[in-house]
Amino acid sequence: MMMFENPLKKTSLARSRTLSETELQAFAAELDALRQSVLANIGEEDARYIRRIVKSIRISSALGRGLLMLGWFPPAWIAGTGLLGLAKILENMELGHNVMHGQYDWMNDKTLNGATYEWDIVGTSDNWRKTHNYMHHTYTNIKGVDDDIGYGVLRLFPEQRWKPFYLGQPIYAVIFALLFQWGVAIQELRLGQLFSGKKSKEQFAIEYAPTKRKIRQQLFKDYVFFPLIAGPAFLPVFTGNLVANGIRNIWTFTIIFCGHFTENAEIFPKSVLENESRGHWYMRQIRGSSNLTGGKLFHILTGNLSHQIEHHLFPDIPARRYAQMAPAVQDICRRYGQHYNIGNLPRQFGQVAWRILRHTLPSQPKPTAVPIPTA
Amino acid sequence: VYNNSKPRLGAAMSHAAATTPVAMPTVKQLLAYVINPDVVDFWLQQVRPTWSMQRGLATIVGREQINHDTLTVFLRPNRHVPTFQAGQHLNLTVQINGMRITRSYSPSRHPAHPHDIAITVKRIEGGVVSTWLHTQAKVGDVVELDGVFGQMTLPAADQPLLLLAAGSGITPMISLLRESYRISKTRPAPTTLLYWVRSPADIGFLDELQQYAAQDHLFTFHIFFTRSSAQRCYEGEGRIDQTQLNQAVADVSAYTAYACGPTGFVQTATQLLAGQVKQLCTEAFSLPVVDDSLGTVQVTLTKQNRTLTIAKNQAILPALEAQGIRPAYGCRMGICNTCVCPKSQGSTTNLLDGSTQHDATQALKICVSSARSDLTLDL
Repeated sequence: MMMFENPLKKTSLARSRTLSETELQAFAAELDALRQSVLANIGEEDARYIRRIVKSIRISSALGRGLLMLGWFPPAWIAGTGLLGLAKILENMELGHNVMHGQYDWMNDKTLNGATYEWDIVGTSDNWRKTHNYMHHTYTNIKGVDDDIGYGVLRLFPEQRWKPFYLGQPIYAVIFALLFQWGVAIQELRLGQLFSGKKSKEQFAIEYAPTKRKIRQQLFKDYVFFPLIAGPAFLPVFTGNLVANGIRNIWTFTIIFCGHFTENAEIFPKSVLENESRGHWYMRQIRGSSNLTGGKLFHILTGNLSHQIEHHLFPDIPARRYAQMAPAVQDICRRYGQHYNIGNLPRQFGQVAWRILRHTLPSQPKPTAVPIPTA
Repeated sequence: VYNNSKPRLGAAMSHAAATTPVAMPTVKQLLAYVINPDVVDFWLQQVRPTWSMQRGLATIVGREQINHDTLTVFLRPNRHVPTFQAGQHLNLTVQINGMRITRSYSPSRHPAHPHDIAITVKRIEGGVVSTWLHTQAKVGDVVELDGVFGQMTLPAADQPLLLLAAGSGITPMISLLRESYRISKTRPAPTTLLYWVRSPADIGFLDELQQYAAQDHLFTFHIFFTRSSAQRCYEGEGRIDQTQLNQAVADVSAYTAYACGPTGFVQTATQLLAGQVKQLCTEAFSLPVVDDSLGTVQVTLTKQNRTLTIAKNQAILPALEAQGIRPAYGCRMGICNTCVCPKSQGSTTNLLDGSTQHDATQALKICVSSARSDLTLDL
């Protein structure tokens, strides 16, 4: 059951204490050492793991598409849709997202190369590498720089200026969740700039061309090719693909929103970027992210983004290693008085939902008990 | 700090697509939308590990120990493995500890099965691939083969040939001799092989050489020991010098000469023969030369067809920028993967952990890597 927690119950920002520059240096040194200790052991096991993931995706995708061909028989449609949805979730989360971070570049395998991998969603990998790998991961939760804060559609933090537009955001959020892959596809295109006249139509056409090609490719594959080769099963294949894409959309939306927009996640002003030290960058990653608890299968299905904190600290380490790094990170956080945000999916999602509802209406930032020092 | 330029095809393609009206996709394009070669390869390889749409793969079908530290591996290629001429080199890629690693070897045809490829590998101390081939590789394993290169191919049959080989530099020479004697039992012109090894235990292919000498009276060979004394008539002593060459061939002016071996050997051979022979072709192999002193190195950017000099103690990205090159970049701290580019040659140091990488790679983060030797980058 979802529970909507009252955000006024505790002042979350006071949970982490201010670290001096010297402390931040020691803090960074400990995290760097942890990184090195894990990197030293990356090898055969990780390669075998990611190949097993690829194999699982290929098999569940083929089985799913095969079963959908018998889709007039309801159990086959349900199983087929489920397996195809599972394949898409695994491909997007544990394979695509992580490969594009360069987590498996050390394998020197062209099919698992971060700079060239193309994933199974309507958004292009090239746009994702820019908005996500660079902007979101470098400027995590910096208001006005990291577009993932509300994706330009939602107001999730009181620091975002309120506009009457946000009154409809509970509805936008539902639509956004259902169509999440489309949100990802257009995020880097910055349609707002086009509508406000800041971007010319010609410039937009140039930027849109690769996305247009990718959209055409994805739509053709799921809604023309596979339904057509199914012959009489055109309709069940079509609807199965639609629902499988939808399942994947809702899942990725949920996991990504739970990673940064839970109650205790913080956002930061641009000013912290001035001469930001590595230690401060690490600290910002921790305080802007939150983890999800769960079993092994759950972690795999989230692409190990259930370990969002470890992922933000070490985005290029194979994600399957985050679980083993988490206790050490948690211990470092405890010793340096930094809040380590963690909870189960219903609890964290409840907090996200509350944020979406609460900031529909005007709201004021709480006075920060502990100001974030600038370097 | 935000750079809009993109390193890959994407930008160029998007521009072309935007300026020309988008035509209806052809059937071939539509098929390309649904046929992902990686997915097809996955299913093909469930049937047979060497089946692939595009990649050159080969199965190990045999192993033969040549001497105490030299091994020949026999490979059965699929149809994507490029054809090579005797004397050329082929890139062999194996997977070790999860990582694909590439080395160049000179292949020859299997004497009995001309469709199979023989690769002879000397075990090198600390050599990852040679050690793996010697100790781990087994019949049935699959390796990748691609990228044929090299100029030392068989000259016209009536051309006198002088072959100089040191250590495992013998392998392209054996490939040339095998091919020549496969075509014909004898060569109409003189063929002389001079072969330098440390000691008698390091000789490879002696039986084969003796067989060629028996069947072709114009073929002679001499073996020189650099760390051992000569015993037999065809043996000599010492590193390559003018006397050895004079004794083997009185007048080299009509000869085509090929030399293959470590860099020092090839340099000496070039000094002794350049301008003296009709044609000289050399190939050197060496272990990575890493110079710990500060100073500068040459960086070759293959896409831009430029070579620049940069400092060794600086990250490559800012060093290139200082010279007006604008590679794509993002975070400049080693996390976002925007600046990665393939490195085909040279050694680099990772500035975050101080480790050194000698191997070719698909993905070098130039914002947190400095050069330790001359580099070739795909930029």
